[in-house]
Amino acid sequence: MRIKSSGISKLLFLLSVPFWFLCNSTYAQSQTGEVVGTVIDNNGAPVPLASVMAKNNSSGFTTGTTTDSTGHFTFRNLPLGGPYTFTITAVNFLGQDLTGYTIKSGSRISLSASLEPSVVNLKEVVVTGYSQARRSDLTSAITTVSSKELKDVTTDDIGSMLQGKVPGLQVVSGSGAPGIGSEIRLRGVSSVNANLSPLFVVDGIIGGDFDPNDVETISVLKDAAATAIYGSQANGGVIVVTTKHARSNKTRFEFKVSNGLRTPDFGTMQMMNSSQLYEYQKEFYRDYIPGDTGNSYKIDLIKFYNERPLTLLNQNFDWLHTMFKTTPLQNFYFSAAGKTDKADYYIGLTYYHEKGTFENTMFRRINVRANSTYHFSPKVSVTNNINLSASQSKSYNYMDIYYAYLNLPWDNPFDSTGKPIYVDGASTFKWWSRDKINPLNSIEHSDYPSKSLDVNYDLVLNVDVTKWLNLSSSNRLAAATNRGTTFVDKEAAGQYHGTGYLNDQAAFSAGVITTNLAKFKFDLGTKSKLSGLAGQAWQYGWNESLGGQGRGLPPGLRVLDVVSNNILVNGSNDRGYILSYLSQVNYSFEDKYFLTGSYRYDGSSAFPPGKRWGSFPSVSAAWVINKESFLADKTNIDLLRIRGSWGITGTQDIGASRYLGLFDLSYKYNNQTAASPSQLPSPDLTWESKYQTDIGFDLGLFNRINLTVDVYNNKTKNLLLQVPVPLSVGMENQWENVGRITNKGLEIGLNTVNIRKRNFEWSTTFNISFNSNKLSGLPAEIITTGPWEISQIYQNGGDLYEFYMPKWLGVDPQTGAPLWEKLSFDSTGKIIGRDKTSDYASATLETAGSALPTFQGSITSQWRYKGWMLSVNAFFTGGNKVYSNNLRFVMNDGHEPYYNQIAIPVNYNIWSKPGDIATNPSPQNDANSNLTSTRFLFKGDFLNIRNITLSYELPHNVLKSLGMQGITLSASADDVYTFTNFLGQDPQASITPSTSGTPGVSDWKYPNNRQYMFNIDFRF
Amino acid sequence: MKNLKISLPVFLMAIIMVTGCVKDVQTSNAITTNDLVSSVDNLQSAVNGGYSLFKDHLPFNGQTDDNLMYLRQYFQMSDFASDDIVCAQVTEDPLFLSFTLGHTPTQTNSRYFWFISYKIISGMNTVIEALEKQTNLDPASSQLLGECYFLRAFAHFKLCNFYARPYTQDPNGPGVILRLSVADSIQKPRATVKEVYNAVVADAEKGASLMNQPRGPMYASKEAAWALLSRVFLYEDNEDSTIYYSTKVINSGRFSLMTSDTYPSLFANATTSPETIFCIAFTPTEDYGKFGSIASMIYSDGNSGWGEEFASKSIRDLMGEHPEDVRNQLIVPLEDADRNIVTKNGIETYYITKFSFQGGSPTLSSPIIFRLAEMYLNRAEAYAKKNDVADALADVDEIRKNRGLGDALYNGNVPQGMSLLDVVLQERRIELAFEGQRVFDVYRNKLDMDRSYWGYHLPGLKETDIDLSVQPTGYPNEIVSWQNPKTIYYIPIDEINTNKLCTQNP
Repeated sequence: MRIKSSGISKLLFLLSVPFWFLCNSTYAQSQTGEVVGTVIDNNGAPVPLASVMAKNNSSGFTTGTTTDSTGHFTFRNLPLGGPYTFTITAVNFLGQDLTGYTIKSGSRISLSASLEPSVVNLKEVVVTGYSQARRSDLTSAITTVSSKELKDVTTDDIGSMLQGKVPGLQVVSGSGAPGIGSEIRLRGVSSVNANLSPLFVVDGIIGGDFDPNDVETISVLKDAAATAIYGSQANGGVIVVTTKHARSNKTRFEFKVSNGLRTPDFGTMQMMNSSQLYEYQKEFYRDYIPGDTGNSYKIDLIKFYNERPLTLLNQNFDWLHTMFKTTPLQNFYFSAAGKTDKADYYIGLTYYHEKGTFENTMFRRINVRANSTYHFSPKVSVTNNINLSASQSKSYNYMDIYYAYLNLPWDNPFDSTGKPIYVDGASTFKWWSRDKINPLNSIEHSDYPSKSLDVNYDLVLNVDVTKWLNLSSSNRLAAATNRGTTFVDKEAAGQYHGTGYLNDQAAFSAGVITTNLAKFKFDLGTKSKLSGLAGQAWQYGWNESLGGQGRGLPPGLRVLDVVSNNILVNGSNDRGYILSYLSQVNYSFEDKYFLTGSYRYDGSSAFPPGKRWGSFPSVSAAWVINKESFLADKTNIDLLRIRGSWGITGTQDIGASRYLGLFDLSYKYNNQTAASPSQLPSPDLTWESKYQTDIGFDLGLFNRINLTVDVYNNKTKNLLLQVPVPLSVGMENQWENVGRITNKGLEIGLNTVNIRKRNFEWSTTFNISFNSNKLSGLPAEIITTGPWEISQIYQNGGDLYEFYMPKWLGVDPQTGAPLWEKLSFDSTGKIIGRDKTSDYASATLETAGSALPTFQGSITSQWRYKGWMLSVNAFFTGGNKVYSNNLRFVMNDGHEPYYNQIAIPVNYNIWSKPGDIATNPSPQNDANSNLTSTRFLFKGDFLNIRNITLSYELPHNVLKSLGMQGITLSASADDVYTFTNFLGQDPQASITPSTSGTPGVSDWKYPNNRQYMFNIDFRF
Repeated sequence: MKNLKISLPVFLMAIIMVTGCVKDVQTSNAITTNDLVSSVDNLQSAVNGGYSLFKDHLPFNGQTDDNLMYLRQYFQMSDFASDDIVCAQVTEDPLFLSFTLGHTPTQTNSRYFWFISYKIISGMNTVIEALEKQTNLDPASSQLLGECYFLRAFAHFKLCNFYARPYTQDPNGPGVILRLSVADSIQKPRATVKEVYNAVVADAEKGASLMNQPRGPMYASKEAAWALLSRVFLYEDNEDSTIYYSTKVINSGRFSLMTSDTYPSLFANATTSPETIFCIAFTPTEDYGKFGSIASMIYSDGNSGWGEEFASKSIRDLMGEHPEDVRNQLIVPLEDADRNIVTKNGIETYYITKFSFQGGSPTLSSPIIFRLAEMYLNRAEAYAKKNDVADALADVDEIRKNRGLGDALYNGNVPQGMSLLDVVLQERRIELAFEGQRVFDVYRNKLDMDRSYWGYHLPGLKETDIDLSVQPTGYPNEIVSWQNPKTIYYIPIDEINTNKLCTQNP
């Protein structure tokens, strides 16, 4: 996809400071002077047709001109005197005054103005994927995010950058591990098993790799009008990424350095220190045997001091703050861009390095992008874009983080020289922690490195055959390879002690995608326009994996060549095809009425022959009301438009051969091949289709206020569900097209400039979205029970990811035992009794809320004064439930006494004698108290101060002496603080089923990070 | 330029014409059921699959969990609920619920056991139906078909042991779901215990008749099917049939008892031992180590396992009466430098090594499912129930002779204060300890389980409460009545939720 280079300028603001200088005149003296100048936008592209008014403030003399196509303007004969003020205005840009110029005889003044876009930029070209449109002509719900808006936070992950910036877009940082991306969901979750993430489209081609620093704009396509043309892959919405291109003839360079520190955010998971644990363990010495007579309920202190000597208090080791540290983060970015009549180019180079806060973890990546277009003629061009990305990372062992939380402060993991000691089950010295393991020693003797290399090559041919017809062929070849290693040396405690262990896994994937389009554009008379496209696309992707592992490593070596026993190999491959035909027609009348229709027809190898093809149509319309005559005199209304759209998208991304009855032959028995049944056949399996309706309006007022409101109703039919079958058929589930999910929602985005003075501006961006999620059409309820016996239920009228577990009713005041609710039902299933029980197995499973939020939003406020800018961004989400599974370990009522515990929060207390009203059961009567129940299910509501940035743009007298075009210094803090009532590590728990367990369950995760950055951006 | 202008669109059109197809994609490591049944090699692989499911960690709930293995559950869910193994460590692993009898329908270990049992059955049904269609089976195919019947019988039988009350308590009570056909209705009620036993007997007898080409003790054989029949009839209290099938195995001449010299190495060398009738073969690459092996919970060399469950005081006291009994050698105390027994959370550490030391690895063994000693003990119990003192004690003495107790034979005399059945059951307990039999032997004989020893099966016990010099008193769970509903497991939640005809246990 070719990007029109002029006119794209949509950064919220830019600290543009005009500069001027006087030259000695080479002209003969005269009664007038000459003033020349250039007007550019914040990207350096010339602004044509800008109006420039010159006014002599003493004499009142006024004259005006406009800029030419290169952004230049000239006043040849301005009367001498002054001071003059030059006022520059242009459609879609904020005006600018240059004041204080005095014209002297024979002098020539050179001016330069850099305009910033107005809040509502109607001419801005929005890239919608296969095509592009002016913002004023849009008929669909699209949110664009500029590179400047993206880059307030420093990260390598585009998801984190988008967090809180797009109404309706949910971003969950499920892990703070270096290099781990976030989970992105648009307008709720509309599918169950398919890939739930939006489809990424990079430079017009589906898929693709890019560095966030190279991003020019991002368009988030939200309704069917925009996404249906992506048909079978667009159920999760579409995120269109456009990378940077040259926009001025001048060669421009940018060099940005970001340096900072990150610290782990343990949330409300504050572990006990030595003395807290000491006090807490006295509870275990209470004289109480349930059901026995003669309990005194007193703590046997003599026994306690005997078994827990006071000297324990001398040892207070802080595992968390030893194993997690403050670590550095660096990001360097260099780019060069320029163009000639024949060619334009952009080269971006990024180096990102993040040391993980957890010991021996890190991520670093180098990314090179080279975009170039060669114009054979004004009508024929070839674009070559290459993106190369190489990364290296070090991961961690889950158990080491587990022990960082659970080992006791009474153990000292270091010897007298400060080296981590070796501990195992045969160690004879006292080691208090439950498991005889020193994670610091384990880390020293293990390594989890990985490497990857991604290459994308895009070749785009573009031919304007006639005035009205354009043909293009966009092709991408993508290849990626990565390798991950688990290495444990023979010194490590644990099962590989004495042998060592090496596991190397490599994967290779490659894909080809070709998109061939014919685009047409007609003016039907003066008032109506017709445009559109038709074409074909084909995708083929394959991947291969290969690995080996073994034990018996010689000291110092770690390659598969030298493993000597327990050697295992693995390898497999997979392929997939999608063939598509697509078309789109846009009609507009008087730039007031817009109508768009699109149609895509996709065939996917994921389905059986005969069920492969699916149709994905859409229609949409918009009415720009403010262009009607009855509003023509309301010049304060920049835009008033209503939009409506309907369309269908699909899902096919469930993996190959899901429709076949299969036996898996990857098993072995006694060194022979073994096969066991792995999948039930589903011969009628076909597309899941999402029927989307969206109605919205856009309002722009006073060039200061921009309001966008959308309501939508998305119904996903024929859900591709893994419907549980009775385990007694030997399978867990069977693929079926069954049931519906309806997502209804409201999205509001409001940008305002609250105060605009010459040197001061205050603006805010606010968005909020609401989404509700309902299941219907299921033949029977579906209950999935994941790890830790945490169940979720899908039932008609219910939500997705709805927790289903016994209801916790606190602690029996008489016995100190845990209590759950036990319901009794009559023959029709009506509840006729609610009892309390201390027998966990007889407690009734009840619905307990969904893991999906019902609302989310963010607010950003920005203050600018001269070169200074302060920005604060906060985002919030809520209405969901999160299961704090870690409390199973750290609020375990003495169940496992040698695990460290969470410091007892205020409002929590432990039952100690009959009559106590307590939150936590008696350690002597705690049977099953920490098993799954609503006890550890919390509201997931939180508000996160996502980013605070203070920046300063150097004034140009300084810049000039340095020969620079711009220098920006900034300091920022990311993930500053989270306000929440959630008790546990982090209410941001993964919402992806299967990969890491049950959605909405907070398990031991690599904590998210607070980040403090200092950035310098040079432009020259 | 003119040329380009024309040639490029032509080129583009050409691309549109030539590209694009949607081909069938096959999974690289799987074949369709149709392809499977049309190839002899693949059918053999499918039979192998029936065995490999005993030892593999299959993905369950979208995750592959090292804890989840059919045999791990097979031993843990039975022996951890018995009086042979004591819990020295409270754990979040649901294996803990077997000690406390705090079973839930959601406990993952039990759900997985149920799931894999039926996966074995489902795989065998596919092969059985494919082979039954063929006429004139050659001996090799006939052997394979027989193995399928055996595996289906065994899986149904073990399910019935764990999820239904013993046959002797209530033969007409709810058993488990019988899956005997590929085309079976998905919704299906539980058969009665008796119906399950009848089906198991029918399958085992059919299997025995088909298997005439033995492939070694790591595969089912005619004798393995007889051994299964011997055990099934024992559990039915059908003495004559028990005696009949036990005798058939004993007299087959294919097996012999280990002696007191060789017995200690029986379990490390199960695949080559003359006593093994049927075992599940583990190769060195299937040494699942600390997180996935069977040995991991009951033995550790300091690094190899968790080592959190030990031989109970109850069985140690019983075996300690005869220190010369070589079977004591499979219980290994952990001692510190001063030769004091190391305690874990107050419980004395006596590791169990019946699942260790194949090829020297502390976490590798090929667990024995049937061995000759059991046939003697099955027959002894049947004789005892027929009050045939001489034959019963002769069988018991045959075992004792080969376990280092040549000087402590009964020689036809029941000791004072013991019944004949006590003698037989006591020998059975010692001989088959930790082999997944004790819990069924106690309850099917309508005996109570006495666990009056210190251990974390006692609810709310804290280390500080433990005083090894006395017996614990006042705790529930010390004696488990044979009528206790928690002596069996709940039908897993997944089955109850999806199979509306399946009833839950109380």
